[in-house]
Amino acid sequence: MIAVVKELWTYRELVMTLVWKDIITRYKQAYLGVGIAVLKPLVLTVIFTMVRGFVGIDTGKIPYTILTFAALLPWTFFQESCAASVNSVVGNAALIRKIYFPRVIFPLTAVVTKFVETAIYFFLLALFMVWYRMSPSGHAVWVPFILGYTALVSLTLSLAGAALNVYYRDVGQLLPVGINLLMYASPVIYPLSLVQKKLLVERALGDWSAFGYRLYTLNPLAGIIDGFQAVMLRGEPPDWGILLPGCVATLVLLPISYAVFKRAESFFADVI
Amino acid sequence: MAIIDVEHVTKEFRLGQVTRFGDTLKGFAARLCGRRPPQRAAFKALDDVSFSIEQGEVVGIIGPNGAGKSSLLKLISGVTKPSSGRIRVGGLIAPLIELGAGMHPDLTGRENIYLNGAIYGLSKKEIKKQLDEIIAFSELEEFIDTPLKRYSSGMKIKLAFSLATSLKSEILVIDEVLAVGDLAFQRKCFDRMESLIRREGRTVLLVSHNLRQVERLCSRVLLMDRGRIVLDGDSRSVCNRFYEMSDKKIAKIAGEKTVLNGREVSSGDVELNEVYLLNAFGERTEEIVAEETLRVKLRLTVQRPVPKPIFGLGIHTTDFLYLATNQSVDVLHCPVLNPGVYSLIFTMAGLPLLPGTYLLRFGLALGDTFQPVYYKEAVAGFRIVDSRNRSRATLMAGVDGFLDLQGDWRLVPEEGLTEKQGRDTRVETRVF
Repeated sequence: MIAVVKELWTYRELVMTLVWKDIITRYKQAYLGVGIAVLKPLVLTVIFTMVRGFVGIDTGKIPYTILTFAALLPWTFFQESCAASVNSVVGNAALIRKIYFPRVIFPLTAVVTKFVETAIYFFLLALFMVWYRMSPSGHAVWVPFILGYTALVSLTLSLAGAALNVYYRDVGQLLPVGINLLMYASPVIYPLSLVQKKLLVERALGDWSAFGYRLYTLNPLAGIIDGFQAVMLRGEPPDWGILLPGCVATLVLLPISYAVFKRAESFFADVI
Repeated sequence: MAIIDVEHVTKEFRLGQVTRFGDTLKGFAARLCGRRPPQRAAFKALDDVSFSIEQGEVVGIIGPNGAGKSSLLKLISGVTKPSSGRIRVGGLIAPLIELGAGMHPDLTGRENIYLNGAIYGLSKKEIKKQLDEIIAFSELEEFIDTPLKRYSSGMKIKLAFSLATSLKSEILVIDEVLAVGDLAFQRKCFDRMESLIRREGRTVLLVSHNLRQVERLCSRVLLMDRGRIVLDGDSRSVCNRFYEMSDKKIAKIAGEKTVLNGREVSSGDVELNEVYLLNAFGERTEEIVAEETLRVKLRLTVQRPVPKPIFGLGIHTTDFLYLATNQSVDVLHCPVLNPGVYSLIFTMAGLPLLPGTYLLRFGLALGDTFQPVYYKEAVAGFRIVDSRNRSRATLMAGVDGFLDLQGDWRLVPEEGLTEKQGRDTRVETRVF
């Protein structure tokens, strides 16, 4: 584990240069430039707000629009970084066939690139907060940790995904679809409090309710999104009880995913 | 200690298409049941290759296409892993397997230097330090802030080469990159390579089809064929062996009457039926001892009369460098060549060629207008071998030229030298 981090540290400059290249080339000939990046969570926020007009979702004191945007921020980061890093190895085939450096650099670069783009979302979130006259509390110091954790979750999925994608290109197509579905199993459109109310208070699943809730929080995104909303909007520290199951799942799966990637990487150049 | 150590390395590739998902499942199922999964036929790109390279050695790798040269470089630079065997590399490698691998068309030349530098493992600080030098060497000052996609292909290569050679790695792996740019830039590249090798004492692995270049730059050469190292030795003898190999191949192709790439022009009036080569004793041969007599006998069938024919016979190398020609104008008088079958004999005494393989070209033109009636290259081939009274260390064709230059050496001290210059001359004398 330490060896892995150490090796990556020696390549930090390469990662930063590749991130810089990714960002610069994406927006070089686009007039809207970086602005285009914020469009996605913004449009989704508008749509969800409209949908909410029909179905009615209780969000307590916090306005639905900003709550959803605060959910979409880590979610979009997760989704985009996953999609980008799953395709990162195949997308860099020309490099992989010719030069050696740890292949893990490619998925990592994709995630870091999205991390930088996510910074733009914060401007938008700040605008929302000014509009709704909310101010962040001191618990906002948790934000970098929450996003860092999100990056690890994203790598958990995409390392194995990127390696498999070299052999079966279907993975690069299917994984983003799967992640889109995962959104409905994450507290994006609805707040986590609603899930808690349904399962823990109303016990909608009967005897299985507690198990169902455990299963729900096994999805790391549940803890991430709720944690993000807590520290940014509610002014509370993250709820560790919700974060823990997802954390455990990530800690178990990330090394496995990394091992799959490492095992496959020696033959990338032959197969790609 | 060896800086590169390759032990019994084999690299196999599976022939045919990439495995389908179903096949993988079947293979997985077979493995679960404890059986061996079905395998597709394997192709050995490298077959039990072993060698080691010491610090500071400059090693060339030569061989025909598909011999495994590039696969070997890829393994050494870590791009892929061997199927079996072990490779140990004790230093930082700069793989110039293909120039400009990491270049991005949307970035400017300058930005690409930073990007590619990072890919090759340079830090931003190091690149900044060398930026001006890299740009100056590439001769692209004017265009350095233009996106790469607007560059001509030559410009791209110039930029890539300038960057690649400024890397400070212990081992330089080069695959066929010297043949870049225009002639002037090629010269510059070659000089830069030579200075990297000779003055900076780097370990270099060079794959090239340009044998003369390999021989000039390398101290040791590996000759590969079909995934194996056939010969490993000093550059001259290995290159000569490769010349022989390809010469024999070319001779074989010529022998099979397949058209060698040589030009052929014919009006159909004259046909060349057969070409024999005879040695000094009148025996048919394809091997002539250097400085002996070679007689060429050509059998011609003339279909229509050819007025005042001029015959021409020339010698060229296997890569079509014309060495010498002789024409029968004013020597062989013949008012008209009537239809029929003829034997044309041309004798060359004391052939001044260095050992190697040569080909003949033959032509027939009209005497008044010099209009060609028949012309063909590579009509026959012959090998020159060393005469017995010369040592094995004599000059070889293609290495020291093709012609056996005759001359006389003398060293005479000039009169009226100052004492200092006189001493210099003595030193020089000793060198000779």
